[in-house]
Amino acid sequence: MSSIEPTGAPRQDAKAQDKPRKTRKIKTTKDVNGVPQEIEIEVEDVDGPRWGERKELKLLNTELRRVDGPVKVTGRARFTHDVRLPGMVYARLLCCPYPSAEVEIDVKAALALPGVEAAIVLETKTRFLGQPIAVVAGRTSDHADDALRALKVVYKPLPWAVDRAQALAEGAPNVRKNGNQGKPGQNGDRAEAEAAVAGAAAKLEATYGVPVQHHASLETHGVVVDYTGGEEATVYISTQSTFAAVEQVAELLGLKANQVTCVVEYMGGGFGSKFGLGSEGAAACRVAKELKKPVHLMLRRPDEFVMGGNRSGNRVKYKAGMDKDGALVGLVAEAERFGGLGDGAMARPPYIYSAGKTYSEVVAVYTNTDSSRAMRAPGHPQSSFGMEAVIDELAYQLGLDLLDVRKKNLRDKVYHRQLERVAREIGWFEHPHRTKPGPNSGGKETGIGFGISTWGGGGSGGTECDVQIAGDGSVTVSVGTQDLGTGSRTLVTAIVAEEFGLALGDVVARIGNSRLPSATGSGGSTTTGSLSPAVKDAAWNAREAFSAHLAPLLKTDPALVRFAGGKVFSQANPNVTMTWKQASGTLPNAGLSAHGKWDKDRAAALMGNGVHGAQAAKVEVDTLTGRVRVLAMVGIQDCGLPINRLAVKSQLNGGMIQALSYALFEERVIDPVLGIALNANFEDYKLAGPSEIPEMTALIDDDDPRNAVIGMAEPAVVPGHSAIANAVHNACGARVRDLPLTPDKVLAALGRIA
Amino acid sequence: MKSFTLLNPKTLEHATRALAAAPSSSARVLAGGQDLLTEMKEHLVEPEQLVNLKGIPGLDRIEFTAAGACTIGALVTIGALEEHAGVRERLRLLAEAAASVGSPQIRTVGTVGGNLCQRPRCWYYRSEHAKCLKKGGDECFSFSGMNKYNAILAGGPSYIVHPSDLAPALVALGASATLVSAAGERTVPLEEFFTLPSAGDVKHENVLRQGEVLTKVLVPAPEAGLSSTYLKFRERGSYDFALASVALCLWRDGARIRKARVALGGVAPVPWRSFPTEKALEGAAFEPSTFEKAAAAAVTGAEPLGQNDYKIPLTKGLVVRALQSLA
Repeated sequence: MSSIEPTGAPRQDAKAQDKPRKTRKIKTTKDVNGVPQEIEIEVEDVDGPRWGERKELKLLNTELRRVDGPVKVTGRARFTHDVRLPGMVYARLLCCPYPSAEVEIDVKAALALPGVEAAIVLETKTRFLGQPIAVVAGRTSDHADDALRALKVVYKPLPWAVDRAQALAEGAPNVRKNGNQGKPGQNGDRAEAEAAVAGAAAKLEATYGVPVQHHASLETHGVVVDYTGGEEATVYISTQSTFAAVEQVAELLGLKANQVTCVVEYMGGGFGSKFGLGSEGAAACRVAKELKKPVHLMLRRPDEFVMGGNRSGNRVKYKAGMDKDGALVGLVAEAERFGGLGDGAMARPPYIYSAGKTYSEVVAVYTNTDSSRAMRAPGHPQSSFGMEAVIDELAYQLGLDLLDVRKKNLRDKVYHRQLERVAREIGWFEHPHRTKPGPNSGGKETGIGFGISTWGGGGSGGTECDVQIAGDGSVTVSVGTQDLGTGSRTLVTAIVAEEFGLALGDVVARIGNSRLPSATGSGGSTTTGSLSPAVKDAAWNAREAFSAHLAPLLKTDPALVRFAGGKVFSQANPNVTMTWKQASGTLPNAGLSAHGKWDKDRAAALMGNGVHGAQAAKVEVDTLTGRVRVLAMVGIQDCGLPINRLAVKSQLNGGMIQALSYALFEERVIDPVLGIALNANFEDYKLAGPSEIPEMTALIDDDDPRNAVIGMAEPAVVPGHSAIANAVHNACGARVRDLPLTPDKVLAALGRIA
Repeated sequence: MKSFTLLNPKTLEHATRALAAAPSSSARVLAGGQDLLTEMKEHLVEPEQLVNLKGIPGLDRIEFTAAGACTIGALVTIGALEEHAGVRERLRLLAEAAASVGSPQIRTVGTVGGNLCQRPRCWYYRSEHAKCLKKGGDECFSFSGMNKYNAILAGGPSYIVHPSDLAPALVALGASATLVSAAGERTVPLEEFFTLPSAGDVKHENVLRQGEVLTKVLVPAPEAGLSSTYLKFRERGSYDFALASVALCLWRDGARIRKARVALGGVAPVPWRSFPTEKALEGAAFEPSTFEKAAAAAVTGAEPLGQNDYKIPLTKGLVVRALQSLA
């Protein structure tokens, strides 16, 4: 992944909303006291599906509980990890514990063990810590574990670089062929920016950094490859893209794509780390092809940490200048991204802010560690951290209100109203330290900080959908999309139920299977924008077809057929109703099917792009011990029309929690001398737990006038850690410029370490 | 993990006989298994035999004498200790220490004996790929490595910190442990039970001999007028070992401190009885200037390693906060 440009000031796409409404009149008959009378009814003349007036919506824009909540809570939902097949073997990977090594592996002893079915060498020279070097398989997971231990491995470590200092040291080994730095991306005029900073009323020169963070999905990466040698294979896979692995599996097994089915019915999180088959999936296919038996290969947690991806870290040196009114006038940013063998990601400074004359230079620094992967809003949290800090540090120099200074540097007025809202909710206007930090008192001090976010969130083509109504009234919606835990199954169900005035429980969603109509992968918060228009299109087409079928029975024009509250009627005679079931009973045996898809023109009326968010955090710092306790977080997010308000709030809460964890705890630790991972487990790689969770307020920005759906899950994670770090500074003057905000750094910033 | 045989003795005698019969270090005592099974899964230890104490009756009791002395069986779970009404009332710091251990799941299964005998959490020790001093290697990697969590007091040649929360509380209370083997029984003050790496045996953290079982802890009746607290600093509040902790027992005559017993956790290879802190407190007025002196005394002789220097102000801060909490 290369440098990512921020999407800029997102536009408020009001197309769907502002289009003048066209109507036409329909002549029909209406019973008045049993006497039919000719009347005219005006109906909206639309050329395709619309979400309709918000006040008319029964399910959409309300708080919907997940349709798959009960099966998940009771354990009946079958995740990839849970798949058990007759004759299945369990496979395990051996991951190289060193950053770079020549490896000799003797598999004989392992193969000789009872219950061990395969032991295959995958690699003899490695380039990153955690690279898979062998795969074994056994009748049970214990047999596989025993096989791993029985591999005779000789490691000849090669020179490595696992951190910035090692990578940039003189005589460092080449991590990539062309050296340990990528080609710098430059933007702007350096001399001009430097001059603007030099002439500013307030100046700051400081370096900020964020560590490498892990996705830490509760379900690790993995697959179950059901291949027994025939002409068919089914692969159960924990993935963010049902269709992405089909062709690769086919190639590895010597099949055609039409002989391979991928299944991801339930999935335990990905956050950007799970696209494609991965080296673990490829290894499982290799074993399956050799044994002609189903193979279960889920990464063990330590392996997940070292080879399952990460969010790149960074280090950014800023020079910034602000005029006396709080407007940034110049910014020079020199950034390094730490994405292991990969390039990492970082939205270009000054991120969302206007900073006057700006120059930025971004370069990747390579190390012998796992490539960074996309992770929830790739590049944005990294960029947010330094920029939000720069603004506060300069504002304090000038004695200006932190909220006013933010607004001063944000052209887009949506942020102004959002910042004011979160400021009000968190208690900013009653807060004593609005223009300078609180004291390093030796007591406990309270502070508040802010951060903002942006994202695209629009969808694109590639998703198709079927809606089927059976004679008994049951409705099925089918689309191959995946539900990462984000609630897309509920979304699909709700859109169809809404169309027919049904309850959620009347519709069953079939998803997560590559035999179903195609769907795009879930990345970039594009799922809602890609999936919803396709499902809506299919539902709308089904309604049109059903209306046409029912019109003669209801003695009315198809345009007047209405579905509401589980009943069907003509708008002309709302008192004459059929139940949904009666209406469905009139269908031919095969029921009714309709197809829909994401069509550019039709989707334009349903989907938008460009979202805004603002968050505030309130913390308490014990200035004697360095303990940081987050007391409250408030987040507001626009997203056009929320399909499911509960899911949107869930995403906001989840984003804030993930950011809190990033702020306070998360950091990959590798010993640079031994080259080994020191915290590849959930004890030492610390994630926030229940007692860290503050009072949380998730607000949907209902002032957003767009009646179109937009993805919002990623921006939710962008600014929380910045707000928390700013709040710590605000509380007691401790500016920590490197995450996480552990007590060692807080105490150092407070000057308490001798 | 490597396969092993599981022995389920019904009596302590049976257990100690089995342990005595096993070849050196090939048998291990299993209680809650919260640490041992983890070590086995990570191949840090690979015993041939586990001797499960769970089937032995009588080791899971908490009993107070009329005079207020308390006996705590080794199989008492940490959760049971935390919730025991008598402990909460009379030995408050011990209940607080128990409540601060691990997670609710761990406290429900983990035992008092296991908590005292658990092995260090140092990430070099816990990595199979680092053959450190504790595992028979010739280097403590934390000395010049990633030592954020390591000892500032009494370290060397190993710089682990003792991970137990119950230990500092029990040391502050002047408790002792009963150790039983096929050869007999002995009772050791907990202060002497834990051993510094500099004392010679760097591979062990206590005086427990091969084949010996810690069966109970004896807490003498505290002198009247005890006020106590256990204050633990966890990086992650939900579930974490101590970066530093303070076990504090205080006896006051009006505004003056008559007697103090203080033990620190998370800062030394053993639960660290802090005599300088006690000295700074005893006879002094219970007031902020005394707290400051006691805090400074607590880190007397501290030798930080580079990434754990923060533990000095942190420990001082905790001492102050612990004293303030007893106001």
